[in-house]
Amino acid sequence: MGKPTGFLEYQRLSEASIPPAERLKNYQEFILHLDDDDAKTQGARCMDCGIPFCQNGCPVNNIIPDFNDLVYRQNWREALDTLHSTNNFPEFTGRVCPAPCEAACTLNINSDAVGIKSIEHAIIDKGWEMGWVTPLPPKDKSGKRVAVVGSGPAGLAAAQQLGRTGHDVIVFEKADRIGGLLRYGIPDFKMEKAHIDRRIRQMEAEGVQFRVNQNIGVDTPAEVLMQDFDAIVLSGGAEWPRDLPVPGRELDGIHFAMDFLPQQNKVVAGDKVAAQLLATGRHVVVIGGGDTGSDCVGTSNRHGAASITQFELLPQPPEQENKPMVWPYWPIKLRTSSSHEEGCERDWSVATRKFVGKSGKVEKLVAVRVEWKDGKMQEVPGSEFEMKADLVLLAMGFLGPVQTGLLDQFAALGVEKDARNNVKATTEGAGAYQTANAKVFAAGDMRRGQSLVVWAIREGRQCARSVDEYLMGSSELPR
Amino acid sequence: MTAEYLCSADQIQIKMAQGAKPGEGGQLPGHKVSEYIAHLRSSVPGVGLISPPPHHDIYSIEDLAQLIHDLKNSNPSASISVKLVSEVGVGTVAAGVTKAKADHITIAGHDGGTGASPVSSIKHAGTPWELGLAETQQTLVLNRLRGRIAVQVDGQMKTGRDVIIGALLGADEFGFATAPLVVEGCIMMRKCHLNTCPVGVATQDPVLRRKFTGQPEHVVNFFFFVAEEVRELMASIGIRKFDDLIGRADLLETRKGINHWKAKGLDFSRIFHLPDMPKEVARRHGETQDHGLAAALDNMLIDRAKAALDKREKVVIEASIRNLNRTVGAMLSGEIARRFGNEGLPHDTIIVKLAGTAGQSFGAFLARGITLELTGQANDYVGKGQSGGRIIVRPHAEFRGDPMENIIVGNTVMYGATAGESYFRGVAGERFCVRNSGASAVVEGCGDHGCEYMTGGTVVVLGATGRNFAAGMSGGVAFVIDEDGTFRHRCNLAMVELEPIGEALSPASHLGLSDTVLLKSLIESHARHTGSKRALDILGNWPKWSRAFVKVMPTEYRRALKQLAEKSAAALKQRAA
Repeated sequence: MGKPTGFLEYQRLSEASIPPAERLKNYQEFILHLDDDDAKTQGARCMDCGIPFCQNGCPVNNIIPDFNDLVYRQNWREALDTLHSTNNFPEFTGRVCPAPCEAACTLNINSDAVGIKSIEHAIIDKGWEMGWVTPLPPKDKSGKRVAVVGSGPAGLAAAQQLGRTGHDVIVFEKADRIGGLLRYGIPDFKMEKAHIDRRIRQMEAEGVQFRVNQNIGVDTPAEVLMQDFDAIVLSGGAEWPRDLPVPGRELDGIHFAMDFLPQQNKVVAGDKVAAQLLATGRHVVVIGGGDTGSDCVGTSNRHGAASITQFELLPQPPEQENKPMVWPYWPIKLRTSSSHEEGCERDWSVATRKFVGKSGKVEKLVAVRVEWKDGKMQEVPGSEFEMKADLVLLAMGFLGPVQTGLLDQFAALGVEKDARNNVKATTEGAGAYQTANAKVFAAGDMRRGQSLVVWAIREGRQCARSVDEYLMGSSELPR
Repeated sequence: MTAEYLCSADQIQIKMAQGAKPGEGGQLPGHKVSEYIAHLRSSVPGVGLISPPPHHDIYSIEDLAQLIHDLKNSNPSASISVKLVSEVGVGTVAAGVTKAKADHITIAGHDGGTGASPVSSIKHAGTPWELGLAETQQTLVLNRLRGRIAVQVDGQMKTGRDVIIGALLGADEFGFATAPLVVEGCIMMRKCHLNTCPVGVATQDPVLRRKFTGQPEHVVNFFFFVAEEVRELMASIGIRKFDDLIGRADLLETRKGINHWKAKGLDFSRIFHLPDMPKEVARRHGETQDHGLAAALDNMLIDRAKAALDKREKVVIEASIRNLNRTVGAMLSGEIARRFGNEGLPHDTIIVKLAGTAGQSFGAFLARGITLELTGQANDYVGKGQSGGRIIVRPHAEFRGDPMENIIVGNTVMYGATAGESYFRGVAGERFCVRNSGASAVVEGCGDHGCEYMTGGTVVVLGATGRNFAAGMSGGVAFVIDEDGTFRHRCNLAMVELEPIGEALSPASHLGLSDTVLLKSLIESHARHTGSKRALDILGNWPKWSRAFVKVMPTEYRRALKQLAEKSAAALKQRAA
């Protein structure tokens, strides 16, 4: 909206960042939010489309044209309210969301998309700075008790929504701090953890209670929750990592990314970690070309690795997508993350054959090039090569929720799983997010499999509405 | 609208109404009238263009019949279409349109609409095309008119299924607009009115137009698939030829829709009703309308003007004329436009001297090179859409009355004229020179609403005018004799200012001539062509009469002329520097 000709007059402006050499010295965030003037012109680029594809591209359906216009008019307070009306935690998504909205932006067809994420980032940072983000405790309490198992973005969103509508919500977290992957998956340099702490204080003021070091199904039986609560939300994430069962996998120095990343977050938080896994001075090979792999690269660089190589099984994607074919959907294209900018070798179409080591410690890996024909992978004959490696990090995605403990016990209570071993529940219509046990709901990665923070927030919000409907018969919460 | 423009068409459509903007007209504000737009609309850059809701030559079904006849004369090979909006009673109108000899009718559904339409119209005007089409089909069949006219339906047609349902309800043809636009790259921004279409579909901005990526092949592909779906659906209901579908409402599967809970309490039987008529009564288009062109006087004119048309030789034709002879000169103009375009022929190449009473639309779309000299009188619509020709109407030599009191030409004279000149020794009826955009005219008096919505050209009135002169006039100039100083009260001053005529010539002068020179030369021509005593009197005592003239100057036009003058002066300066 804003300025009808804005998109013709202003160029897209990426957020400024601290140069790699500087930022590698610490674990602080290095992306600087837009200043007011820049946010204004970036907001002016929005065209107020007749059909705002961005809004559908966004999993939480952020009312993007409206807040773009409000920022253009420097009406920050209303912009913040508009943003919060669909998204509980813009400070998370404004930092780590890959911004499918921008892929769907109409300007992205033949120009550069509106910098929606940077505008979101600017709005929420200003909101906190101005003290506009305050607790919204419920006027009336329902007297219903809801347990939320897992404190990642899905659990937090569900808890906040349910708390604000008047239910007594207790969030259980198996780790020692709240936040799930937000806390221990995403490195501090991508998102500082004070953002989570600030939100938790807000939620506590709204009446939500948090219980850490409570692994339901291990420390506390599921049965206890079933007795103590009127409804239970399972939002335990998808933490079952994909393994690489090749010869030599048992060697020391080969770890899952999620054994590596959380330790550093703990150290940054001030904890003492005995025998921390460090990349310092080592030749690191990251297997897996996704976001988690990227985080391993960034962390290894900060440790001071001797070299970092990242392998991806799939072929190198094109630098420019075929827009008429894919717009407004998320395109497969070459993405160079900030961690890549900090230094790393990337190689595509590589499959690891085996690890080779001496006295139980990995020293190198043997890999082979692969080709993809008709969706099937074939090794290229004679393309074997070796790579020096004394730290291998496996970041090849997650297969689904951890099947033991929590899920075992809930399975015994009637909760079913789908063909991908996720907790089975629909997302539409009556009984959305409800499992086969009417009292138990599921949201986020635990229901949908590994996905984005923003999808988790969506599921948490929608699940909260379903829970509210189940408890009260009807719900005022947004869908 | 020029003769050449009409000649270039395969089909000419008269939009009586359409789904998106029925009866509201439109306005193009001055700041949007760029040089390019002004060129296309033959107007002045910067001057707003008002498209008033009514057709000023259509106030009855007979008027519509006349316009159809005019257009058919101008381009006999074009099919003449009339667009109606789907609404209750459209069947009756369609029957009238068929009797008015249209070749083609379009029933526009309420779903259609461009991004530039007012929201109130998009939301509230018209009914679904299915209703209007069913009514049209039934009325035409019942009145045995259906065979004479092709029925088209439009309004958000998108699929082969739409085509089949349209055919079953009685349509021969189908109009698609939005869907092919989307195929060409439209993303329904609803910014058509802002000139900021980011995919270059609905914009004149050269920067944005470069972003247009549509290709004709995309549209071909789209319609290929539509046709394929039509074929599949036809096969599924066992229909071999598309013609066999038309008007077969009995083949529609309706139960599922009618049994839907939302349809409870509604009676759909009339939509699917098949009129009980004998088998031989046509249910689809198959005949051609008799436009009566064979009886046109122009056949003789074309025949006798052969030397001019083929060899550009001067020709003088003399003939008598009756009020049966309608639209005289249009077909001849069409021949000229087809051969020589808007340039036409040099003035006075074909001089047609006629005596008697001319029928309606005398000299319609008259091309340059033709001079129609009528001794006698003429009916309504003289010089409609005049395109460069010259029309002279003077009373019979034996006329004993005062020409200043004698209505010599009817209403709506020179409606939408774009070029040319006319001299009428006598008084014109209402709406003289309405929507004139470039022609000049001299008349000795006129009725109400003279120069209404005029955007260009020059009008001289040597006598009294009716009320509401210059309403909505945004361009051109009128000079009116104001003997008793009361003209001000008869003039609509909303958009114009009155001033004395000026001697001085400035870069911002209308047509680049000073008022005196322009006015005097027009009156001299009037005197020469019509022998007007009034004109001779005025010229005989010019110093006295020149003071009696009032110049009617549209404010917006004055501003635009000034801007253009400044712009060209600046350009000159720059070149000199």
